[in-house]
Amino acid sequence: MDFYLGLIQIIGVHTLLGLSAYCVLHTGQVSLAQAGFFAVGAYVAGMLTVLAHWPIVPALLVAGVVAGSLACAVGFPALRVKGLMLVVATAAFGEAVRLFFFNFNYQLERGGFHIGPHGGEGFRQIRYFPEYGWSTLEVAAFIWVVVVLTMAALWWMDRSRAGAVLRAVGEDEVAAQSSGINVTVVKVSAMTVGGVIAGIGGGIFAHYTTHIEHIQFGIVLATFAVAYPILGGLSNVFGTLIAVIFIQGFLIEGLRFMGDWRNLLFGGLIVLAMNVRPRGLIDAGTITLVKRLVFRSKERASA
Amino acid sequence: MDFLDLIDALQSLADGVLFGATYALLGIGFTLIFGVMHKINLSFAAASIGAAYASLLILAGVKAPPALVFLAAAGCGGVIGGLVYLIGFRFIPLANPLATLMSTVGLLLLIDEIIVHTTAGVPLNYPALFSDVIIRAGPFNLRGDLMFVFLLGCLCMVLLLMLLYRTRLGLATRAMSQQPVAAELCGISNTKVNILTFVTTGIVGGIAGAMIGAAIGMLSPLLSLPLTVKGLIVTVIGGLGSIPGAIIAGLLVGGLENLFQYWRGVSERDLYIMLLLFVFLVFRPGGLFAPATARD
Repeated sequence: MDFYLGLIQIIGVHTLLGLSAYCVLHTGQVSLAQAGFFAVGAYVAGMLTVLAHWPIVPALLVAGVVAGSLACAVGFPALRVKGLMLVVATAAFGEAVRLFFFNFNYQLERGGFHIGPHGGEGFRQIRYFPEYGWSTLEVAAFIWVVVVLTMAALWWMDRSRAGAVLRAVGEDEVAAQSSGINVTVVKVSAMTVGGVIAGIGGGIFAHYTTHIEHIQFGIVLATFAVAYPILGGLSNVFGTLIAVIFIQGFLIEGLRFMGDWRNLLFGGLIVLAMNVRPRGLIDAGTITLVKRLVFRSKERASA
Repeated sequence: MDFLDLIDALQSLADGVLFGATYALLGIGFTLIFGVMHKINLSFAAASIGAAYASLLILAGVKAPPALVFLAAAGCGGVIGGLVYLIGFRFIPLANPLATLMSTVGLLLLIDEIIVHTTAGVPLNYPALFSDVIIRAGPFNLRGDLMFVFLLGCLCMVLLLMLLYRTRLGLATRAMSQQPVAAELCGISNTKVNILTFVTTGIVGGIAGAMIGAAIGMLSPLLSLPLTVKGLIVTVIGGLGSIPGAIIAGLLVGGLENLFQYWRGVSERDLYIMLLLFVFLVFRPGGLFAPATARD
């Protein structure tokens, strides 16, 4: 049972990561910096609960704010460029953050133990959940409350004017600009919102794994972050969730029985998915189809 | 900084510039594909390493001189390049930039895993050429294997430039990168040019992979991600789509990387390269040699 709860936790945290990239992708920008914001959130939240004994919720909020302001600060220079340049710039930023934590030492002595981030060895003993006696189920529930809140907020945003503005910038920047949208503000805000979500996700990640180190936040994680929304489709937030379940639940955990071959299949299936469904697993067509099916069954029920 | 420090620093700079030839070739590969298709091929560095591995596999049974390894790597690189195009680009609508980005990421993971699967993840030794030759120039030593890598890289670049500017294929490639519609109207097949570009960059990548193997002395699947990042950085610093830019940026990044390693140690080295990239993005977002009409 704990295995499945653990899987549910992983899916929850990765959904947050995917949603953070989803915000930025809406404006048509591919950002590989999300793993960097995730790392910042993880380290900030971890340091707050371990070194400063904060409770988890304020620590997560501060982690989100710190990662968000960093995203905002990075957004201004980085969003002057777009396309490939932005991919490279954000990838470089993500790597720079990782390398920063690789060289980052801030340890305090508590009762004969040194606690805190310790360079290449990472940050051990982020034991907030065990110390306060949270069970795995409670942790999983907590994670999913955050995920559902985030998804609801993004769902609402998609339907509001803000979502329309984001999509307009993503579809055609020049057209959006000529209808009076300040493209830079929109992009930087999307980046900031993405940073906040990634920071909160990172904070949760640090607490359920209890041990973080720089290597976890590399370019692979950044690629996963953008892979979820692209694979799932950008038409709504559930695409990201489905893609996370597909990758984490099916490709990584579900195919464990295949041993070595699983890793080979992993890349192959992503390539195949993009060949078969280039606009994502759930695209606008799927939604129309689902709607039609639902409405038809309703009509039948009423008739 | 006294005199000996200066000599050591210059020595690491020189070694780095020589090794930078490999970065230049990787940068050229990214830049060429971007120039022709306006797409990023993220699997390029992994494919290059894969080609170097494949050349080792091919020559494992045969008792061949090490020089043949480079030729074999170039050949494997060409084949892998063509396959990458077929699997990752041919059947995906090009109007959607995210889809090909994702498919090349999938290919990157796939190639890495194929390497891990066939070699059980163990790094393999790669034959170096002229590793016993050391050229002494005053207080400096130039390693023979690095010199060879550098000269081979230069030769590749010259051949590539000749291909681009002296042949009909090069003309077609350049036409396609400037105005795809006009080029098609002149009877140039888009698909054909694309696939030939992928094969050409694959060959360049294969040689780059072999050069990396020869310069480091071994191959490991762990190389492909850092090399992807380095290659992309070189591409951006040089200016997208600019081959001279990629060459100069490659040598620059190689040299500075080694210099930073000498000053600050290996764990901080890449941090400064990232900062260098940010300096370029802020002050010269188009890169060293941005084309006049550079618009995404």
